[in-house]
Amino acid sequence: MMTGAELLIRALEQEGVETVFGYPGGAIMPVYDALVDSSLDHILVRHEQGAVLAADGYARTSGRVGVCMATSGPGATNLITGIANAFLDSVPLVAITGQVPTALMGTDAFQEVDIFGMTMPIVKHSFLVRCVEDIPRVVGEAFHIAAEGRPGPVLVDLPKDITNASTSQPPLFEMKSNELDGPDPDEVETACRLIRDARQPVLYVGGGVGIGRAVDAFRQYAKDSGIPVVATLKGLGAVPTRDPAFVGMLGMHGNQAANETVQAADLLICVGARFDDRATGKLDGFAPRAKVVHLDADPAEISKLRHADAALLGDLRKSLATLPTGLSLEPWQRWCAERKQARQWRYDAPGDGIYVPDMLRQISEADPELLISCDVGQHQMWVAQHCHFNRPEQHLTSAGLGTMGYGIPAAIGAQFADPQARVLTVSGDGSIMMNIQELATINRYQLPIKILLVDNASLGLVRQWQQLFHGERYSEVDLSDNPDFVAVAKSFGIPGFRVEKRTQVAGAIERLLNSEGPMLAHVCIDPMSNVWPLVPPGQTNDVMLEEQSA
Amino acid sequence: MNHTMKLTIRRVEGAMIRALGLIERRGFAVTSINATEDEPAQQLELIIGLRSADRSVDVLARQIEKLFDVCSVSLQHQNEPARRLEESVAC
Repeated sequence: MMTGAELLIRALEQEGVETVFGYPGGAIMPVYDALVDSSLDHILVRHEQGAVLAADGYARTSGRVGVCMATSGPGATNLITGIANAFLDSVPLVAITGQVPTALMGTDAFQEVDIFGMTMPIVKHSFLVRCVEDIPRVVGEAFHIAAEGRPGPVLVDLPKDITNASTSQPPLFEMKSNELDGPDPDEVETACRLIRDARQPVLYVGGGVGIGRAVDAFRQYAKDSGIPVVATLKGLGAVPTRDPAFVGMLGMHGNQAANETVQAADLLICVGARFDDRATGKLDGFAPRAKVVHLDADPAEISKLRHADAALLGDLRKSLATLPTGLSLEPWQRWCAERKQARQWRYDAPGDGIYVPDMLRQISEADPELLISCDVGQHQMWVAQHCHFNRPEQHLTSAGLGTMGYGIPAAIGAQFADPQARVLTVSGDGSIMMNIQELATINRYQLPIKILLVDNASLGLVRQWQQLFHGERYSEVDLSDNPDFVAVAKSFGIPGFRVEKRTQVAGAIERLLNSEGPMLAHVCIDPMSNVWPLVPPGQTNDVMLEEQSA
Repeated sequence: MNHTMKLTIRRVEGAMIRALGLIERRGFAVTSINATEDEPAQQLELIIGLRSADRSVDVLARQIEKLFDVCSVSLQHQNEPARRLEESVAC
């Protein structure tokens, strides 16, 4: 006989789980009691949002299902942002929550919330366990659902009487296969005809390629077909960002050449992307002459926002293998290369203030294998624009939800997933305060995470929009009363130093990357720095503002 | 455009609210609903009247089909004019 909590832990072990991020509390105490005798590594964070975002970073880095747990009520609600983050970025995640005993559910008991109901719009699926014998089946199904097809978060809510109950149920549950089918032959035929007929095709690649473990297949197809590649924020690294065939990131803060390429295309081959508004700009004017071939694991993405002339559903690797190669695209390839050359980034900014794009370029070149997690804001866009990525897992970014506070917990998860990885968090002075308590987790486990804090003493991206689109009416964006971040880091046991001049940047990068343990570099920049170029909201992608045109 | 959707769902906790919530979140108004229990099969059959000015009901059907408690989805199209729903504008 064992308790439901012990059965849960055995079922997790059976799933191959090694690391769980969490925070204990009343309703989940039986599970924490069972953890004492378990082989699982439980990582104690300092806020439940840190747990779920760390599990997200763990999943993205390892390719395995991330696991987090929290108690009922506020513990569970604190997971919600991270669950939504995983939902919008298709990250496989199992979130386990304690719940008040079944008899108290629906009575407004202490720390009772209907987390099963609250999370319905942001989970791939969820379970409320009413019977202790169901635990192995639910855990098995939760892991299968989280990882199969288009991945996503699954919630398992466990009332305390269920985890306390005794059972002789074995922890085993028959595993299902996660293998996806290949595409429909009729659709393949249409897609092949469209590709052969196209004169100006573009491969528009999103996060699905990394998630679907189709990076090798995608690179092979890009190489064999010679079709130029543009990427979404999450698609960066699907081909190395230094690859000659890579034109750039498209969208609101993308590279101008990438947007021009897409706008001129006569065929978009969308591979694991979803026509997100930040990528497309005004949808009506996005790639206006192009037909669309859409490759995706998720049938609900087909023709959701843009009509697909051919839809190749299923495993991206199988779909990519059906597409024609050996195309004659020389004039188009040359045109794209010329646009790329004409629109390449410039790093010769005037003045002696720190120019963040150049600093990020330098840090990325100093260690091309860095695993970089970002927070959200101007620095996030600069990382996407100016850092180089050889593979998608090198870039942990909250793309769909835009969760400020993502960077540090995601880096923690990534470091646990790959202890040998060199992990850098690029954060901003707004974002870092959203989960700054997780510096304690970095210190607790002595994780050698490097933090590059880009401080413009304001909410930079909001300020930029207020400057450009709200007539310089600045509203609640001034953060000049920030704490002394070096002193804050020190108080958490993390050494840090300040960087204020351009001449200090090279030395600062060397010091940061070569430090033994965790380290924070607090980089002070001009509060009026802006991210360029920029497609104004509601405009098409061929309307890109540059610094001089704003 | 008005539509009628026939859904068969597993009779498990949350299945009905999950389906109805998705329909409203994806920009459709529910205009009618009729539920019948199929007790031996442990299923519910829902006949749902829907209305949306500008969203694709075929995409909605694929979104509902993805729900794990949904056994089957079928659509009956009607060509009646529909009131325009309030549009959400991305910022």
